[in-house]
Parts: sequence; C-alpha cells; structure tokens
Amino acid sequence: MSVLQHLPPGRFIEAAGRGSRQTKHTVQVSFIVMLLMATMALFSANVNADVPNAVPPEGEYSGIHVEQPIEFPHDIHADVNEINCMYCHTYARRSKVAGIPPTSKCMGCHSIIATDKPRIQKLTEYWENKESPKWKKVHDVPDFVHFTHEKHIKRFVIDNEDLQVENVSEVCAFCHGEVKKMTVADKVKPLTMGFCQRCHQANDGPSDCWHCHK
Amino acid sequence: MSLSNLIDDWSRYRKGREEGGFHDYEHMWGMSIDLNKCIGCNACSVACYAENNLAVVGKEKFEKGQGMHWLRLERYWDEPDLGEERTTEFQQHGASFLPMMCQQCNAATCEPVCPVAATYHTPDGLNAQVYNRCIGSRYCSNNCPYRLRYFNFWSYYEDSWPAPLQMQLNPDISVRDKGVMEKCTFCVQRIRTVKDTARMEDRKVRDGEVQTACSQTCPTGAIEFGDMLGMYDPETGVAETKVTRMWRKHQVEFGKTKQNKQTPDMRGYRVFEFLNTDPCVMYLDRVREV
Ligand code: SF4
Ligand code: SF4
Repeated sequence: MSVLQHLPPGRFIEAAGRGSRQTKHTVQVSFIVMLLMATMALFSANVNADVPNAVPPEGEYSGIHVEQPIEFPHDIHADVNEINCMYCHTYARRSKVAGIPPTSKCMGCHSIIATDKPRIQKLTEYWENKESPKWKKVHDVPDFVHFTHEKHIKRFVIDNEDLQVENVSEVCAFCHGEVKKMTVADKVKPLTMGFCQRCHQANDGPSDCWHCHK
Repeated sequence: MSLSNLIDDWSRYRKGREEGGFHDYEHMWGMSIDLNKCIGCNACSVACYAENNLAVVGKEKFEKGQGMHWLRLERYWDEPDLGEERTTEFQQHGASFLPMMCQQCNAATCEPVCPVAATYHTPDGLNAQVYNRCIGSRYCSNNCPYRLRYFNFWSYYEDSWPAPLQMQLNPDISVRDKGVMEKCTFCVQRIRTVKDTARMEDRKVRDGEVQTACSQTCPTGAIEFGDMLGMYDPETGVAETKVTRMWRKHQVEFGKTKQNKQTPDMRGYRVFEFLNTDPCVMYLDRVREV
C-alpha cells in the first residue's frame, strides 16, 4: 500500500476517542468477537460465516445521531417480523441508490396494522395530507464517488449461490451495520476510501481509481 | 495503491509493445475523426461543456489562456496572411478545422511526470485524471505536446453557473475546484454507465453502445467512437467495431511512429505521431480542390 493513500479524516479519530457509545457491554462483546475471529481465522479464511464467498469489510465509526421525522423502528420490521430489507429498499438491486420506500408502501400494511400506535398515526397524517415524511440521509458518500448498490447486490447476493436471499441483511450489514437491531439507522461504518479499498482487496474488487472516482 | 497501479500500467504497456498487441486490456477506447465531414460548427465543443460541467470562464480569462474547453476547434487557413489590402477581418475561404480533445495516448507523456500519480492509465486504455489526488503542479500540462490539459485557476463554480443554471450540472461527474488539472475523459461517466448495465445483464459491451457527447452531437457524424479491441474474429464471426474498421481501412496502426501507406486514398493520421505518444485518436485528412 502506498503512502499516498488517503488516511481517514481527523473527526473519525475524534469520534472514536469520545467513547460516548462505548459501554462496558460493547467492550465485552468486542472481546468475545475478537476471540471468535481469532479462532475462525485459525480454521478458515472465511471470517464471516453468515455470508459465504465474501470477506466482510473491517472498520467502525461512531457518528452523530440523525433525528428523523418519524422514529422508524428497523428492529420491529427487519428483526421481529423478518421483513426482507429489499422489500422496502426495493431499488437496491435495480439501481445505484437503495431508495426510501414511498409512503404508499408503508400504508400498504399500516392502513390495517398497528393503527393505534402514535408513530403510525403520525404517518397516517402525512398520508392524508398527501405529503411524505422528509427522511434525512444517514449514509452519504461524497459527490465525487460513484457507488452503485446494484453491482454490490449482484456480487454478494444474486451471483452468490450459497447465500439464502433471506439473509440479505447480513450483506447490507457490511456497510450499514446491524440495522435490524437499530430503530432509526445510524452510521456505524466509516465508508471512507480505506474502508472500501480494503474490502475490494479482500474480495477481488476493482482497484482502478476511475472505477469509483468521478 | 496508485503507485503500483502506475507501475503496472507501464509494464502492461511495455509488454503490449514487445508482444505486438494490447490484449490484456479490458477495452481500449479509440476515436476516428473525419475532417472531410467536419464543418467547424463547434457543436461538439458545446456538447462537451454541457456533459462534463465545464466552466464558462468569460472573455477576459479566456484571452489569458484560461479557457476550460476540453474539446477545442483549431482553425487553420490556406493563406494565413491576408496581405496589405485586407478588406475583411478573416479570409473568405480556405478554412479547415481540427477538433482537438485529449488524444488518450498509450505512451502518455503526462503520466510519468505527475509527482503524485494523479494521472495514470486505466485498464480500459484511458488516460485518467483523479481530481482528488491532483495537487496542481501542472507538470502534466507542460509535458503534453498537444496542450490539451486545462487548469482550474479559479473556483469557477462560484459564478459560472448562476442560479438556476446549477440545475443543469451533470451529477455523474464532479464539479472541479480551483487548483486541479482536468481534460477530456472520453466521457468516462458514459462508459461507466454502459459497462455497469452490461455487467448487470451478464453480457459484453456492444459496439456503438457507448457514445461520447461530442460524437452524439456532431451533425455530420464526423466523430466515431468505439472499442479498439473489437477485431474481426473468424472463429466466432464477431464483426469488428466501426472504429477498428476505419483504422484498418486507412492503415493506421498502434505502436508506430510512422505509418506505411500503400495508396494516397488512405487519409488516416495521428497528430504528432513521430513523438511516439501512440494516441488513440485518428484523424482522416481533409481532401479539397485547390
Ligand atoms: S469524448 Fe467526451 S469529454 Fe472528450 S471531448 Fe468528447 S464530449 Fe468532451
Ligand atoms: S460537431 Fe462535428 S462538424 Fe461540428 S465542429 Fe464538431 S466535429 Fe466538426
């Protein structure tokens, strides 16, 4: 690796040092994870057992929590009710951006389900006013980066015969973290050039500058 | 990363030269420009401005040589001197035009002089410029025999696109800031999109699928663009691409500093071929009655 490689920006280090999100629990978990990874590295080259034929990228980030107009619970949808990520983020496998579902998609279920909950009532209000909630962007790559969801989904999900499509959230978690354990999604991966590049190296992705820089 | 890329590119190029081919490239984009067809309308240049977020710098800066036209129309006169009895500003006849964009040289003179490897050769045979890496030393521009690299002397975005003109900016290419070098990319964003689509459909890129903005716009079809690796294959019966056909017809070959022409009908040439830059743009000489 050359010295010319871009190093992560300062705020990344600052965020790691602040440690507001680091509880005793996380320390314990990370210790166990480290142990596990060490054992796995001993027995197989494939570090993540959940996604076959892939080496997940490494790196953590702790950013600023983004408030959303409605506190959307990803955990209830993706974890408890096991709804596939690609059911709502339907453009991920079809285009560059994963997309936010239209309010009509929410109303497809929520005109019947859980209509007594305050968050759903807020949503219904938006729907009746013919407005859409102004969701804020959490995972944003700089404007000079060309990133397409569809090619990543193709490589890790569609062309990956050993992966059950039900487990697609494990692939999403490469860059988005365990969103199914969160309510509103937070950015937990750095999404820096080094983060992308290390994964591209481990998974034989392209390393040509013009593949991603535009 | 980039340093190893750079070294790889050069060894690939050398290997290609020694073994008489460039075949471990994935693609090799090339052009053929017929000067017989070019009417000097400048539409290609305008298209390039629109496609690639080129700044309009204004007359004053343009006169200082700070124009950002990736594609410029060079104008030549049969009789450059109007003589003593000049009655008009320009000659009435005898103009010829030469659209000049980055020649995407295989042995690019700009690449080895960049101190930070911001310009390098891609596996597509393109001469790339990475804006984020560029530190604005301008060595590349000084080493380009064609003078086809343009430097951002100012933050043009501040006044080049007054509202609501910023809405017409192409999102597939960044708006460059002051201090970086830029040049024709062979519309790499279009190439990228077509390659992505082809990959999603599990097929190869078809001939004519990638169209650069200039070749799309040219009203007379003077500019042809395509993959130079599309050779005729007798086994599979795959036809050669349009551009390869033109190059073969006019007997212009890569890796040569002087072309062997059998007949004068073969009009093809590359600009400054003798410098051994091995460019990917071929021009077809203009024929006219004198
Ligand atoms: S190929 Fe694209 S970037 Fe190059 S001169 Fe033509 S329009 Fe401009
Ligand atoms: S658009 Fe075509 S005819 Fe017009 S100047 Fe450009 S190359 Fe020549």
